[in-house]
Amino acid sequence: MSAAEKMSRRDEMETLLPFYLNGSLEGAELEAVEEWLATDPAALAALGEAEAEFSGTAAANEAIRPPADALSRFAKALDAEAGPARAPAGQSWLAQAFNRFMAVPVGVAWAAAAVLLALVMVQSFVQPGGKGSDFEIAGAQDDLAKMPFALVKFKPEAKMSDIAVFLGENGLKIAGGPTADGVFRIAIAAETAADYEKLVSLIAAQPFADAVIEGRKPGSGG
Amino acid sequence: MTAATETDRALVDRVAKGDRAAVRLLFMRHHARVYRFVVRQTGSEMMADDIANEVFLELWRQAPGFEGRSEVSTWLLGIARFKALSLLRKKKEDWIDDDDAAQIPDSADTPEVVTMKDDKAAALRRFIDALPEEHRTVIDLAYYHGQSVTEIGEVLGIPVATVKTRMFYARKKLGEALKAAGYDRGWP
Repeated sequence: MSAAEKMSRRDEMETLLPFYLNGSLEGAELEAVEEWLATDPAALAALGEAEAEFSGTAAANEAIRPPADALSRFAKALDAEAGPARAPAGQSWLAQAFNRFMAVPVGVAWAAAAVLLALVMVQSFVQPGGKGSDFEIAGAQDDLAKMPFALVKFKPEAKMSDIAVFLGENGLKIAGGPTADGVFRIAIAAETAADYEKLVSLIAAQPFADAVIEGRKPGSGG
Repeated sequence: MTAATETDRALVDRVAKGDRAAVRLLFMRHHARVYRFVVRQTGSEMMADDIANEVFLELWRQAPGFEGRSEVSTWLLGIARFKALSLLRKKKEDWIDDDDAAQIPDSADTPEVVTMKDDKAAALRRFIDALPEEHRTVIDLAYYHGQSVTEIGEVLGIPVATVKTRMFYARKKLGEALKAAGYDRGWP
């Protein structure tokens, strides 16, 4: 092998050393560098020089400090680009449920409503020492078609525990919902129209009630 | 799979579906490197700040079309490179030309003087910084960004052979600068 050829091979190996060091070399080039390192006395010194370049380049780059507020400014730019997020953090469980239901097709929302109802029921039973254990979800045994009801929308910040206690204390039951608009159907076990009105007024007076619409009243038939 | 172990590609798939949390995760993973890359390209932290932000907004826009033929990091650096060059071209008329630059006193010392002041590592770092942009970029991409020859070609839009040629000359110039400063490393 001539001196020129040796120099050429050395040049090639020196060119590949940075890629050997960063682990991206493979195949025949990797084998060639490894063979060179194993057989040429000058190779290890060359590797040391490349490592020094590696460190110097890393130091030069790491010395550049990105702005500390880059992420928050990017988040704002992203919101400006894509519009506000659908469900801002910090909303109550009820508000988030409402938002989720409003974001999905009506059919899917009703199917998911059953899951939410089950969640409400389970959570009401785990209130430690509370009166929530009296609270009931209307079951299959109830003749929902005959029960008086009102449509109720709760405030987004409403607490599930407050609602559960209130319903339990007044013999009220969730018979359905929420709809895509977040409206629940509350079954009211009232014998008379006067009792019904009284209970509807009571619901409307609660701090967690956003809106109450009268539905079927006692004696009003099917 | 947790967010910590979720691959870049999986996160891009989530971004393509409109997941903002995923694009923020990618931002946190890659922003510093993209920012540094652009600073080294443009020499301007202000430009780099704008461009790095734009790179991730571009990620948000282009995620649905990402085919995964390259690593996400390579893709982002390619976008950054393109945006940096575009901005530099726009600003070119405002920049000083070579004749003007020649009139400005060089605040840097000669290599010999620098070496007297600093040790070899510091001198080497200075020489790396002083490399022509096209040579310094391949050095940065290989040593700092861990890119392969092929990936550097993708980022810069040049053939693999050109990447190797630039790397060869970059390292050759570093060797010559070190030699001139009294550090003979035996090559070139």
